[in-house]
Amino acid sequence: MDKLSEKYLRARKIPSTACSGCGLGQAHKAFVQAIDELNFGIDDILWGTSIGCSGRQTFGTWKGDNFAGTHGRVYAIARGLRLAIAPEMKIVLTVGDGDAFGIGLNHLLHAARTNTQMTVLVCDNLGYQSTGGQYGWTTPPGVKTDSSPYGMYEPNWVQSGRDVLNIIQAAGATFLARHVSMEGRPLVDTLKKALQNNGFSLVHCVFPCITNFAKNALGSRNSVNMFNWVRNHAAPLGQEAGGREIFWRTGIYHDASNTRAEFSQSVKEKTAEIQREVSG
Amino acid sequence: MKRFLETGNFAVTEGAIMAGCRLFAGYPITPATEIAEAMSVELPKVGGYYVQAEDECAAMHIAVGAAAGGMKTMTATSGPGFILYADPYGWAIGCEIPIVVLNSQRVGPVSGITGAPGQGEFYNSRYPTQGGNYETIVLAPNSAQEAMELTVEAFYLSERFRTPVTVLADQLITDGLEDISVPETDEEKTAMGMRFVERKVNAGPDFYPPSDAIDIPPVVLGKGTGAMCSDWTPTEEGYDIETVEAHHKHSYRMIYKIRNNRDVITRYEELFLDDDPELIVVAYGTPSRTVKTAVKKAREKGVKVGMIRPVSLWPFPDEAFTRKAIYLTVELLYDGQMVREVQRATPCDSPVHFFGKCGELPTVTELHETFDKLLRGEPLGRIGWEREAW
Ligand code: SF4
Repeated sequence: MDKLSEKYLRARKIPSTACSGCGLGQAHKAFVQAIDELNFGIDDILWGTSIGCSGRQTFGTWKGDNFAGTHGRVYAIARGLRLAIAPEMKIVLTVGDGDAFGIGLNHLLHAARTNTQMTVLVCDNLGYQSTGGQYGWTTPPGVKTDSSPYGMYEPNWVQSGRDVLNIIQAAGATFLARHVSMEGRPLVDTLKKALQNNGFSLVHCVFPCITNFAKNALGSRNSVNMFNWVRNHAAPLGQEAGGREIFWRTGIYHDASNTRAEFSQSVKEKTAEIQREVSG
Repeated sequence: MKRFLETGNFAVTEGAIMAGCRLFAGYPITPATEIAEAMSVELPKVGGYYVQAEDECAAMHIAVGAAAGGMKTMTATSGPGFILYADPYGWAIGCEIPIVVLNSQRVGPVSGITGAPGQGEFYNSRYPTQGGNYETIVLAPNSAQEAMELTVEAFYLSERFRTPVTVLADQLITDGLEDISVPETDEEKTAMGMRFVERKVNAGPDFYPPSDAIDIPPVVLGKGTGAMCSDWTPTEEGYDIETVEAHHKHSYRMIYKIRNNRDVITRYEELFLDDDPELIVVAYGTPSRTVKTAVKKAREKGVKVGMIRPVSLWPFPDEAFTRKAIYLTVELLYDGQMVREVQRATPCDSPVHFFGKCGELPTVTELHETFDKLLRGEPLGRIGWEREAW
């Protein structure tokens, strides 16, 4: 256990139950690093997760308060929690791509619309891996999975001029970014910015699943190959040219941090105003 | 005491606020929309929050989320929305989070008839989520006044048992205008039998003690206690675990905290049972009012008929059904649901019959004809349908 884990994570939960070599640990660690660099303590963060690899493997790892919600609904749970808990306590969520961009997208858009403070880290293993390896909403075109045996031929959420981050931006999110998990320092810096936004922040982070995705898409569970494959299909925004096929344009997409009222804050202010009116 | 001529929706709102509810999350649906509207008017006045959600699933998740954060919260819907509560209802049961859910039943299935009363969620309220391994608490008012009082009771029970509690009303209760007395002083509240309990915070480290005890404070997030709650089978400290032994402890608590403390929950109303009547009529909710009138009038004519009205539907008040008699259940649906529970609870040599109406109350005349047939030993047939032109 390294120093950071010792400080913030429950000994009983580390190492997590993720397959050995899974890239999820990189994303998880970057989040804890960002929290540490901002000097947050255990009691400053309420950590929520959902189901699937990303939720299950990160649930209960935080030494402070934790919850795991139903699939795709954690954004609604977080909106309720946000109204109940102290405004200075941050809600962070580690969820999967299926949770955020599939089953939970509508709830996520409404969390963005209301600009509810939560820092959502979408840990994207490119499909449904904990159920065995079915295609998801960011599975790259042509990729074989257990449910796309002829190659992924449905349009996805990140290709062909279509980007789910644009939809979330239009819905009202105040901070949006994308990274791949091996971009350690940029990912930490982005997460720090996300955490400093008192509103809805989402960071989409692609990480290598060496068990199901690597086996189906690349024909081998070799983790070096899988890590290189993800790295080779990513490029910082504006640097996509160069002959490589780029699936993930990385960096900060949208930063309107702290420009819109946060949901619970505006609800509370309005409530106080109504109370004053009726009692006055 | 304040008196109003108001709807059940208003009464429920008054009861909830009195019980300490400070967040309501809902999604518009007939005939429960007016509860949301009344909450949007009244809650901010007492410093509470009204949240309109993107759908019913989100509505209950928001309410459960706020409850997990330590607030007393509530949501209200009708059948088509209640089924969408299945997911968060399960989360609240599994994480043992207190919350109150009101279902104003209408004619189903699916959208059915929006503005007419039904009783189709009798079983759905017992099994509001998947997976089994739990018991539920459901209270059924038969008037606007009682809707207010049972809403208060639902908050009380949800805290003590740390579980969601459903108030199973119907369209006539929530939409109907009635005379409502709202208590103002503690004495008036006590005189009405109202019970109150505050939210307490479980400080851990054991958030889920393996016991059937009640009055164990629930997990509250955001208090820095290191609380953990999840949709997975928990250990005592809240960690997720995949062992049957741990699940046995978890289910034992969810089932037996309710079964072994039934006396705190169970309630029912009896009428004319002291002289061992030949016929006992069973009804809950609004139809019980017509049944009561019919039974009283039949008595005046010397017919030996009595009545049982379950107020707590789940746990079902089995103890009320020990007498040997002919039983008749009167329900607002054609398929008959409570009739099976009555069959189960009554002595095996007591025949149980069913009279169904849908979307409208039975008339006293219809009920008297039915009583007479049963007492003459004649078969009932499907009376509601026989009278249709087709
Ligand atoms: S299945 Fe894939 S994503 Fe899930 S834990 Fe294993 S390697 Fe990681």
